Amino acid sequence: MAKDMSKKKIAIVGGGISGLLATIKVCELGGEVDLFSYCPVKRSHSLCAQGGINACMDTKGEHDSIYEHFDDTVYGGDFLADQIAVKGMVEAAPKLIKMFDRMGVPFTRTPEGVLDLRNFGGQKHKRTCFAGSTTGQQILYALDEQVRRWEVKGSVNKYEFWEFIKIIKNKEGICRGLVAQNMNTMEIRAFTADTVILATGGPGQVFGRCTASTICNGSAVSAVYQQGAEIANPEFIQIHPTAIPGSDKNRLMSEACRGEGGRVWVYKDGKPWYFLEEMYPAYGNLVPRDVASRAIYKVCVHMGLGINGENRVYLDLSHIDSGYLERKLGGILEMYSEFVGQDPRKVPMEIFPSVHYSMGGIWVDRVHNTNIPGLMASGECDYQYHGANRLGANSLLSAAYSGTVSGPEAMKWAKTGNKGSDLTDAELEAARREVQNEYDKILTMNGSENAHKLHHEMGDLMYKYVAIERDNNGLDTCLVELKKLLKRWNDIGITDHSTVANQEAMFVRQLRNMILYAMAITKGARMRDESRGAHAKIVLENGKQKHDKDGELVFMGRDDEHFMKVTIVNYDPKTEEPVISYRDFDHSLIKPRARNYAVAKKE
Amino acid sequence: MPDKVRFIIERQDGPNEKPYTQEFDVDYRPGLNVVAALMEIQKNPVTVDGKKVAPVTWECNCLEKVCGACMMVINGKARQACCALVDEIKQPIHLAPARTFPVIRDLLIDRSVMFESLKKIQGWVELDGSWDVKDAPIQNPYTAQTAYEISHCMTCGCCLEACPNVGPQSDFIGPAPTVQAYLFNLHPLGKFDAPKRLNALMEKGGITSCGNSQNCVEVCPKSIKLTTYLAQLNRDVNKQALRNMFNF
Amino acid sequence: MHTTFYLRRLHSLCGLLVLGFFIIEHMITNSVAMAGPEIFNQVMGMVEEIPKPVFYAIEIGMYAIPILFHGIYGIYIALQAKNNPERFGYIRNWNFTLQRWTAWYLVVFLIWHVGYLRIYIKGITGTPMSFELLQNMFQNPIVTILYVLGMWAAIFHFCNGITTFCMTWGITKGPRSQNVISAISMMMCAGLCVLTVAFMASYFVY
Repeated sequence: MAKDMSKKKIAIVGGGISGLLATIKVCELGGEVDLFSYCPVKRSHSLCAQGGINACMDTKGEHDSIYEHFDDTVYGGDFLADQIAVKGMVEAAPKLIKMFDRMGVPFTRTPEGVLDLRNFGGQKHKRTCFAGSTTGQQILYALDEQVRRWEVKGSVNKYEFWEFIKIIKNKEGICRGLVAQNMNTMEIRAFTADTVILATGGPGQVFGRCTASTICNGSAVSAVYQQGAEIANPEFIQIHPTAIPGSDKNRLMSEACRGEGGRVWVYKDGKPWYFLEEMYPAYGNLVPRDVASRAIYKVCVHMGLGINGENRVYLDLSHIDSGYLERKLGGILEMYSEFVGQDPRKVPMEIFPSVHYSMGGIWVDRVHNTNIPGLMASGECDYQYHGANRLGANSLLSAAYSGTVSGPEAMKWAKTGNKGSDLTDAELEAARREVQNEYDKILTMNGSENAHKLHHEMGDLMYKYVAIERDNNGLDTCLVELKKLLKRWNDIGITDHSTVANQEAMFVRQLRNMILYAMAITKGARMRDESRGAHAKIVLENGKQKHDKDGELVFMGRDDEHFMKVTIVNYDPKTEEPVISYRDFDHSLIKPRARNYAVAKKE
Repeated sequence: MPDKVRFIIERQDGPNEKPYTQEFDVDYRPGLNVVAALMEIQKNPVTVDGKKVAPVTWECNCLEKVCGACMMVINGKARQACCALVDEIKQPIHLAPARTFPVIRDLLIDRSVMFESLKKIQGWVELDGSWDVKDAPIQNPYTAQTAYEISHCMTCGCCLEACPNVGPQSDFIGPAPTVQAYLFNLHPLGKFDAPKRLNALMEKGGITSCGNSQNCVEVCPKSIKLTTYLAQLNRDVNKQALRNMFNF
Repeated sequence: MHTTFYLRRLHSLCGLLVLGFFIIEHMITNSVAMAGPEIFNQVMGMVEEIPKPVFYAIEIGMYAIPILFHGIYGIYIALQAKNNPERFGYIRNWNFTLQRWTAWYLVVFLIWHVGYLRIYIKGITGTPMSFELLQNMFQNPIVTILYVLGMWAAIFHFCNGITTFCMTWGITKGPRSQNVISAISMMMCAGLCVLTVAFMASYFVY
């Protein structure tokens, strides 16, 4: 191999939008990338983003401004986002869109041929660029193509179907490489790198069934957390109110359904009850995501009015003219028919809230360095930009933007950072050996538990205690139960002893990481005694959930005095438990104000 | 409705092993799809004969028919498993790997050849860089709509599995990568390199290997009008051939 | 450069023009048989009157070489296909498969047809073509059936070839234009097949 040894080598784990943009940036700066992914990067979860990507293009005569986008994001995030970081993102957004346009993302256009914009939740202006209802797919493909171009030029080595296992630190504790395993041949190999960027996406699978892909298990994040990386704000998990429940996954049903006049109801005393319209007469079916989710949850779980006693409510479009539906929602309705086998133009859809996105993740500074030198994080796996709640169509933006920041920063570190000593062959082999031993041990597990059943149980636990409504009793219980699961993990029995594509053994390893991540989420939620954004906690009175005089649950308020801080979770290797602390962040630009979507936003 | 669904699965322990079949029963429930059934088998990998076996290996990611990972042969037809509803297909359900591609294990196949083909056709816009340049060119919204349609291709490989001219016996790159060339030729910046892509399509294994069986358009899960674009590309490569011959 | 491309295009062009001419020519001359032995033999005699150098030039340049090229390269193409109509039973896929099946039959049939009638009977024994000669040959019902099948195979191969030619050259692009051409060529196929039966019958009528 006649490779230019002076070239800086960056290892990027994850081939979603963030990882791919970081890859492109590194290549443009003359670096070389080892790109690791569970799957061909073109199949990464970024492609599930439907609605669009926010950027202040101001081409609709609405006098939209970057400040307005900035304010909407901070306000939507309930003032828990680092404002300097958010400002950087919203300022870069229009440039990113133009770049995507040049790359060939087939954005939907106006009759004049310029980019069309649409409305999205939590924003007063048309600000969302979109490519039909598959914006994420289209952006991911454009980046995939550009990375392929760099691959042909020799700057990118793709390691597709390789699973990241852990990072390798040198004597000084600086990240200088990683260990990965080929998912087909099961080969375990240690790689050196000047910088490692994790862009591994969200931890949706911790909740079992969610709107995320099966590969979004948070395992990589948990692995580096166990190696000393800090996790921030893990308790902030966005729940989307309208998803199609499924045993394999919950499929997202876009907010656009309600936007186009869809009504949410259940049977009460034998008659349809349009509960959102009754509970919130001002906004009706168009209440924000968290409010809608809590209302649906209440109707099903507390009142027991779900369809056939199950956790489902109707989302009804059948009263709307089918031609109109076809024009506005065609693709989405087809998806429903395809997966449910019923026509939503004729019968009401059955939906229920589902875990959708993690605002929290690995703690990073504004240029995406983690607390471990040489290790960076980028995309949904980091905690930046969204605070306590993410605005619709800001996820694609943060994924893309973070890649444009982390890539150049990784090169800067590779060139000028204090990287300490190089890894010796012995150190590399020791790291590889360690992973090999752990893997070999998994192959010999012959207990009575099935890993997939344990995963299912964990999902049920997390949904029960750490999803829409949380209270400290439940969170305590959940922590105890998760610890039991961690113990039961040791009693897993492996049925697959193959040396080819042993998915079961890999899943067993991931499951342990997921349980530890679940504990971080739960502990973070337990310690945050307030309600903020996606985190809604019920007040306890005499050890029981408190109700007001109308019998309604009483939630804690936002407590800026104590909790206007970032949750920091450290792993304690002795107890395997998360340790919580809090860290201040920059909120100097916009003064916190009450978040209330019942009235129009006031600055 | 029966309370069990029978699956007859063609398995293979490794790339060079012999295929064999095993049968599994999965509890029926409304809305059950093939991936969900395979997940149930993972939880309890026991055949109908009561034999405990290794769980079936397959590939899946999004389960929303956008990632393209879970393509397999279901009752003889190449399709995505995630949207194959048990209610809508004939039982017992036969699952097999798409043998147009090398099989790694069970239903897991190696489709890297498709991504290699995308390199051959130069499936990208030659960008100076990812930095800010200036406004991107305006695009005809109707052309953009066509591009959007073609850009849905998720490299699942259904069209390659169905195409009689793709397989170990032939070097045809297949409908999907071929048609992707047209996508980039449509783009206002991408079209600058259209001659390069058309020349690439004239290479061995390129568009001339298409035999017009038109299976591709029938099986495309994204309903991309593959044959229309193949014909358009045929027209374009012919013109390009004339240009090459006479140095237009 | 792009040898495969030019060979494939040439193969397509040969198929349409040369085979088309070959088939049409056969259809016309054989149709004369319906008018009876005298007229048929008269036409055969006219063919004999073409000066030999011209006749050989036409036979070799316009028939033998293009057909050999189309056949041999066609075998190479057919070997690259794994026919799968049992799995994907769409009409076009059936046509694709039939195109290859008819091709295999035609390879064998043409070797027999040209080898026996043109090379052995006419070339080696020097016997001119005549109604009686053919009538005699078709006394064997197996020969008749194989001949009818051979004609049908050639007709289908040619007519379906028109449809795919239009696709390959980008003449018909969308499904509608492709379907129109396909319908026309299939009607032509049916017509020519009927015509074949009609003139074959005349050998038994007279």
